Parts: sequence; C-alpha cells; structure tokens
Amino acid sequence: MPASDIRPPRLGARLYSVWHRHMRVYTRHLVSNGLPPFLDPVIFLLGIGLGLGRYITAMDSLPYLVFLATALPVTSAMFTASYECTFATFVRLEFQKAYDGMVSAPVTLNDLFVGEILWAGSKGLFFSACVVLVMSLFGAIPLPMGLLAVPIGFLTGAMFGALALLVTSFVQNINHFNFYFTGFLSPMFFFSGTFFPLSSLPRALRSMAELLPLTHAVRLTRSLALARFSPVLLADLAFLIVVTLVAGYLAIRRLRRRIVV
Amino acid sequence: MSDAVIVFDNVHKSYRDVKAVDGVSFDVAPSTCFGLLGRNGAGKSTIMRLIYRKAERDPEPRGKVSVFGFDPERDELEVKCRSGVVPQDDNLDEELNVSQNLRVFARLYGIPVKRAESRMAELLDFMELREKAQASIRELSGGMKRRLVIVRALLNEPRLLILDEPTTGLDPQVRHTIWDKLRQLKRGGLTIMLTTHYMEEAFQLCDDVLILENGQAVLRGNPKQLLASHIEPYVLELTDVKLAPQALERLPAGAARVERSDESVRIYATDYAVLKAVADQLPPGDHHLRPSTLEDVFLKATGRRLDARQ
Repeated sequence: MPASDIRPPRLGARLYSVWHRHMRVYTRHLVSNGLPPFLDPVIFLLGIGLGLGRYITAMDSLPYLVFLATALPVTSAMFTASYECTFATFVRLEFQKAYDGMVSAPVTLNDLFVGEILWAGSKGLFFSACVVLVMSLFGAIPLPMGLLAVPIGFLTGAMFGALALLVTSFVQNINHFNFYFTGFLSPMFFFSGTFFPLSSLPRALRSMAELLPLTHAVRLTRSLALARFSPVLLADLAFLIVVTLVAGYLAIRRLRRRIVV
Repeated sequence: MSDAVIVFDNVHKSYRDVKAVDGVSFDVAPSTCFGLLGRNGAGKSTIMRLIYRKAERDPEPRGKVSVFGFDPERDELEVKCRSGVVPQDDNLDEELNVSQNLRVFARLYGIPVKRAESRMAELLDFMELREKAQASIRELSGGMKRRLVIVRALLNEPRLLILDEPTTGLDPQVRHTIWDKLRQLKRGGLTIMLTTHYMEEAFQLCDDVLILENGQAVLRGNPKQLLASHIEPYVLELTDVKLAPQALERLPAGAARVERSDESVRIYATDYAVLKAVADQLPPGDHHLRPSTLEDVFLKATGRRLDARQ
C-alpha cells in the first residue's frame, strides 16, 4: 500500500478505541471491579432498613427508603466517575505516562479526553444500573420508570468526569485530590436533596444548593423514577449537559498544555 | 528534495527562556536512517516530538515542518497513521499485559482485529518476544520492554519509524539485536529517524547524521564521510597527563593536533608512524594508540566540557 493510500481512523473509531482501552483495563479485574457497585446498595439498604429507617419513616411525603433509593443511582455515578477522572487519570498522566504513549497513535488530544469523559459516563451508567437493579428488587425503586435513572446515570457520570478532569488539570500532587473530595463532593452528597428535601433548607442555602451539579441529577432521577414530570426537569437536564460541555472544554484545553509541550 | 519524508526548514522551539531548537533545517530521504546526535539538552528529543506533534513549534519565526507532505500541526492524524514512535521512556500500559497492550494500540490505529492478531504474532516473533505474549509488563526486563515498544510502533506497518534513544541502558546483546532488526527494516524500505548518545550506534545504522549543539545544527553528513573529512584518522590517547610533556616533545612540529582535558590528552595525526614512534618511547600503560571514531568527530564538533543544560 503506498503511503498516500493510508487513511487515519474516523472520529467515531478513534473515540471508541480510547473508550475500549478503559473498558479493557476495567474488565481485567471483574470481581474486584464488578462487585462493589452491587454491594454498595445492599449495604445501604441494610443500614437504612435495620437502622435509620426505624426512626425516620417518611420524607417529603415518601417512604424514607424510597426517598433515598431514588437519589442513590446518581450519587453512585458521581463517585465512580470522580475517582476515575481524578486519581486514575492522574496516575495515567504523571506516573505511567500512558497518554504520552497513546498520543503517538493516530488520536488527537481531544479524542483522548472526550473518550475518557464518555468512559466516565459509561461507568456512571453501569453503577446506576446496578443500584436500580438492587433497589427495585426490594421495591425501593419502582419499575419500569426507575429505568430512566440509568441514562441519567450516564449524564451524571460524564458531567462529574469532565469536572474531575478539570480539577486534575490543576493538580500537581496526587494528595491534593483530597481537597476536592472532602471539600466539594462530600458536602454536595449531603446538600443536594439526597438525604432531605431542599425545601427544608433556609432560602439562601436553597439557592446555593441549586448551583450544585448533583442537585440537578438527583431531582431528575427521583422525579423520573416516581413519574413526577415537570418543566423544571428540562432545566435540570440542560444544566447537566452545559456543565459537561464547559468543564470538558476547559479541562481539555488545560490538559493539552501538560501533554503537548 | 521534494521526495523527502521529513523536511525541517528554519524550525524554532522555545521553553520559557531556553531555545531548545534554534533555526534547525534538514531533510530525511526515503528508506534511509537519519540520526540526531548531541548532548543532553541539545534539542534532539524536542525535534522528535515536533515530528508527531507531541510538541508545537514557536509561532514566530514560524519555520516549516513537513512529514510525508503534511504539517503535523495541521494534519497530525495523517502524520501519525503513517508513523511509528518509540519514545525515550517505555510508556507501556502497566494495567494491561503484553498482548493487551498491543491490541489496544492496534485499535487506536484502526487495524481490523484479524489483521492485528496476525501482525502481532509476526512482530512478536520478529522481536523474539513470542513466549512473553501473556506476560505482565512488570515481568519484562528493560530490553524486553524496549523491544515491545518497537513492536508496538511497527503494528501499523509505518513508513517512518521514530526512535528516541532506542538502546540507552540496554546490554550489548540486546543492542546488537535491535541494530540487526532496524537494518532489516530499513532494507524493507522503512525510513528511520533516531537519536542516540552512542556514536557506535550512529555509525552502524545511520546514512546521515546531524550533530546538534544548543539547539543548532553544527555538523551534518554521512558518518563514514565525516570520519574521513573531519578528523585525523589516528589518535594517541594519554590517560595520565604526566605523560604529556614526554610525548609532546617527541612530536615533529605541525604533525599533530592536541586536545586536552583535565585528566587526559589526545594527540590526533594523519600519519600513523608519527604516533607509533611517540607511543613506543612511552612507558607501558596509561596510553593507547587507535583509529579515530565518530565519537572523536562528535567531541571535536561539540567540545569536551559539560555545559549548563547537561
């Protein structure tokens, strides 16, 4: 074949090949990687069912178990995507120099990180599907509407993947991710309508909670699973997409400077 | 030269206030091996990175880089799908084993699965790694890792192979194996561009070398011709400076060129007999008469002292 006949792979193939690399690495350790997404919701159910659930029976006119269970698919997606695109990305970037190797193949830097955000979304999808499966067995998430939480899990994973990449683009020392987890993700886990409705917060805090990305993901999942449709959900959906695009764009711009020197 | 695989024309690249590449021009003819020589920090790796857009050249003065007729900054995919890269660090994916590493790369290159499997088997054989196909990366020795990175770079049947210090840190057996393989590939029509600190490697493999100093080209040519035209053919090395006065007083005026460093003296001459006569008068040990090598040309062109970038 003469050199002029060689063609680089198309965009879809390039993104898929990056996604495929992450999938390969993840599925290499099926037991250690595949079990936690099922175990987490089971442990959660036990904790609530045997403990907390006896003291609090209803929240926002819902059984407390249902109130919590309908938020859990997206919080689970948030944590897995965040770990993937902070610690794991940093190791690939700084310690293994895996990206340096990958960019010598016909993929661009955009392909590399868009593929990674899609991978974070896929992990979010998988984790929320696990939660929906377990919770629906115990009647905590109604089916079939609860299945709508799964695509929202993808969007949530992609959004937190993009945000995590943006954080990673600033981090020089791997320990600094602790600030992101304890300073941002953990508080958000509590103040996004996961454990109690936002309406119980003071007005000022309530509008602040509306700025938190997880708030929108939780409202979407819970409302869809319980078939409580309203136009607000479209705004929530738009919020997830816009944050993903903006954070993703900024992250790739900054990460480029760390790889292309 | 319009059929050149790589053309650099007045290329500049700065890092903050350091000029890593300072107006370098050269071209690489098809099916030849081109070597970049120079001390650490001379700009070799930067030039390699500019070829496949791992680095971007300065906006001003713009200069020109063309690889297969493509500007890497505009058509990086076109350049990369025709090239194989062996970077200085073995950046293999430690989360995957040998075969998985290659499969992931085959997919990145868009090679169909069946084709990839046969290509992998063929190349693992070629690089004598067949029995390591299922090994984890951590089990591999330095020489195996290096050969695996070369296999990875050859998966897509590249027209250009870029190797940044391919044999640094490897034992002589592995080094000679890699040289043999590279010669075989060149005979098959592959264009090779490499950097090295080993003059012997450049001499063995390269049709053309470019010696860099502080980001600038100082000498270019065929290694054998450089050796013939840029240095006296023989050198008497004195590894004890105390021998110098005794040796130098026996040298006929104008018959030799003397290079000194703190602990040694080298006397270069065209006439073997002159040096032999001097050597025979010296007490045995601490001196050695030998033909000059490319390393002597290199040191003459770039100086013996260390500089701040090393």
